[in-house]
Amino acid sequence: MSVFMDLNVSFSAERSRMTKLIEAAAHLGFSTVAINYVFEPMAKKKLEIPMPTPVKELIDQLPVVQGRSRPIRVLNRLTVVMSDSSHFRPNATEYRGFDLLAVQPTTEKLFHAACMLYDVDIICISVTEKLPFFFKRAPVNGAMDRGVVFEVSYSAAIRDSTRRRYTIANAVSLMESCKGKVPLPPLELRGPYDITNLGLLFGLSEGDAKEAVSSTCRSVVLHAESRKSASGIIYTMKTCSESSSQQEALAADLGEAPAAKRAKPHLTQ
Amino acid sequence: MFGDLERTPRTLLVCERSSFLDEKNRLSSQVEQLHFNYKVSMLLPECSSAPSHLEAVFNSINSFYLIRKLPIHELLDKHFLETAVHQGRVSGLSYGTRIDEDNCVALMPNGHLSLSLDKDSFEVLGVEGKPSRFNQRTNSRFVVSVDLTDSSMAPGGRGYQRLVTGLKSRLQLKTDFLLSHPPGCGASLHAFLSRYDWSEHKPEIRSHTLTDLSSPLLTSDLQSCDPRRLLEWLGAVDAHVSCENSSSSFLSSLVCPEPRTRLSQALSVSVCGLLRPQDVQQLIQQIRCYLEQPRLENWVSLTVHGFVDSPVSWGGEEHGVLRGGDNFYSLLMFHDHTYQLHLATGAHDTCPP
Repeated sequence: MSVFMDLNVSFSAERSRMTKLIEAAAHLGFSTVAINYVFEPMAKKKLEIPMPTPVKELIDQLPVVQGRSRPIRVLNRLTVVMSDSSHFRPNATEYRGFDLLAVQPTTEKLFHAACMLYDVDIICISVTEKLPFFFKRAPVNGAMDRGVVFEVSYSAAIRDSTRRRYTIANAVSLMESCKGKVPLPPLELRGPYDITNLGLLFGLSEGDAKEAVSSTCRSVVLHAESRKSASGIIYTMKTCSESSSQQEALAADLGEAPAAKRAKPHLTQ
Repeated sequence: MFGDLERTPRTLLVCERSSFLDEKNRLSSQVEQLHFNYKVSMLLPECSSAPSHLEAVFNSINSFYLIRKLPIHELLDKHFLETAVHQGRVSGLSYGTRIDEDNCVALMPNGHLSLSLDKDSFEVLGVEGKPSRFNQRTNSRFVVSVDLTDSSMAPGGRGYQRLVTGLKSRLQLKTDFLLSHPPGCGASLHAFLSRYDWSEHKPEIRSHTLTDLSSPLLTSDLQSCDPRRLLEWLGAVDAHVSCENSSSSFLSSLVCPEPRTRLSQALSVSVCGLLRPQDVQQLIQQIRCYLEQPRLENWVSLTVHGFVDSPVSWGGEEHGVLRGGDNFYSLLMFHDHTYQLHLATGAHDTCPP
C-alpha cells in the first residue's frame, strides 16, 4: 500500500474554505490532495482555461498529516467536461500548469475516444444520473493498458437516496467491466478507511478498495509525471528564484532529472 | 457481487486452556514472543483499589525513550551495537509511522532489525529484501530483515557496509523512535541518545472503578462463555461502553454474555507505553499471587495489545494493517491456577503461536 491520497478536492474561490478543506484532509490522514479545477467549455461563449492558484495563496502553512510527521502535499488538477470532441485540445499549453489532467466524457463516442486516444490521467464518470451509454470492455481495457484510471464520484450519493441507487448501480457496472482494476473515488472529505468501505459497496474486494485510495492514486500521479516529461526522458523546469516552502518542496520533487529508469524517491511523500 | 459484503476481513482467534501448574504450558513463550506491547489492561472483579503489590509492579516498570528524527543508520553504529544490541534485550520501534503508508522500523531484543519499506524506498536503499506477504496485485511493500548479531553483519563486513551506506547516503531514513532497555542499561545509552532530541517516558497508568457491572459467569471448568462474546464484553468494559442495551439508547447494542451475574464493583486498570514481555510476566505473577487469596470472584482478566503499526508481531513474523492492525491476547486467570488464553490477530498477520 502507499500513502492515502484524495485527488478531487474541488476548488473554491474562497480562501478560507480551501484552507479548511486542506486542513481537514490532513487531519483525516490524507498525505496528498489534488485541487480540482473543473472547466466546462460551452458552444456559445469562449471560456478560458483557469490558471491554477499557487498553493501558498490557498493556505499559509501546510498542515502535518495526522499520524505522520510530514506536511500534506498539494497538487493541481484540471477536469475538462466534454460534450464535444473539440473541447479537449491535446498538448494545449494551458494544461502545463496542472499536475493532473482529467476528462469527463458525456457521450459514448467521447468516452471511447478518451479511453483509447486522449493523453489524460483520469476519466471521470459522473454516476449520479442514469448514463446514456454502457461501459464496453474494449475501451475500458484500452484505457487501463495505457495507465489511465477511472474515477467515480460519490459525494452526491452521500446526500440523496435516489442518487445513491444510481451511483451504486453505475459504479457496479463499471467495476464489472473493469474486473476490479480499481477506479478511485474522490470525496467530500471522508476518511480513507470510510472510502474503503464505500468501495466494498461498489463491488471491490477489501484489498482493492484500499488500493483505490492509495496505490492507484500513486500510479496516477506517476503517470501524470511521465506524461508531462515525455515518458520521463526529458524534463524541463522553470527555475523560480523566490519560492514558498511548498513550491520548493514540489520543485525539489520534480527537479530530479529523471533518467529513463531512475527510481523516483520522493513521489509518495 | 454482494457475496463479498458478507465476507468480513479475515481475523484469527486462537484459544487455549491450560494451567500454570502444568509443566508443558506455553504461556511464557507466547508472552515472550510478542516483543512490542502497547497496552496492558486488567479487570479485577469485586475489587475497589489496586492491591499494593500490583502497584509496586506498576511503579517498577522501566521507562522508555522517545528519540525524535533518529537517522536509522545510527542503529548500526559500532558503539551502539556493542553496548546495546550484542548485550541483548534492547528493543525499539519507529513511532508516528503507519505500517500501510510509511517506512517502519523494528529492532527486536534478539538483534534482528526489520525494515518495512514502500516500493520507492526499497528500490533506493538497494539492499536485499523480500516482497511483503500481504501485497495485493502489485508489490508495493517490501521487508528487509537483518540479523545484526550474525557474522555477515559484523562492522566492516560487506553486508554491514552495504546497509550502512544505503541508510546513510541513499535512503537517509529518519523516523521518531521508541527505545526500550532492560533495567540498569539506561545509563550506557545516554551517550548514544545525547546526539539527538530525546525524552524519557514512564508508562501511563489509568485506573477506573466500575460499580454495578453485569458480568458473565466465569468459571475455570468447561468453556462457560463463548470466547468471541467474552472478548467483546471485555473490550466494551475497557472502552467504557455500556452493555445494558436499554431500549432508549441506540449507541450500543452490545450485551453481556449469558449466563451472567452482577458485580457490585470492579477495577479496570490499564498501563500504556512501550512495555516489554518481562513486564507482562511480572504482572501475571502478581495477579496469580492476588488470586491465591480467597476472593468474592475467582477470576482476573489481563489483555495485552501489540502495536498496530509495528512491522512485526509474534516471533518476528510480519504484521500489517488492512483495516485494523489488531494483535493482542487476553488471559483469563482463575483461582485454581488454570487459565484461558485467547490470541487474536487481524487480516494481515500470521497465526499467533
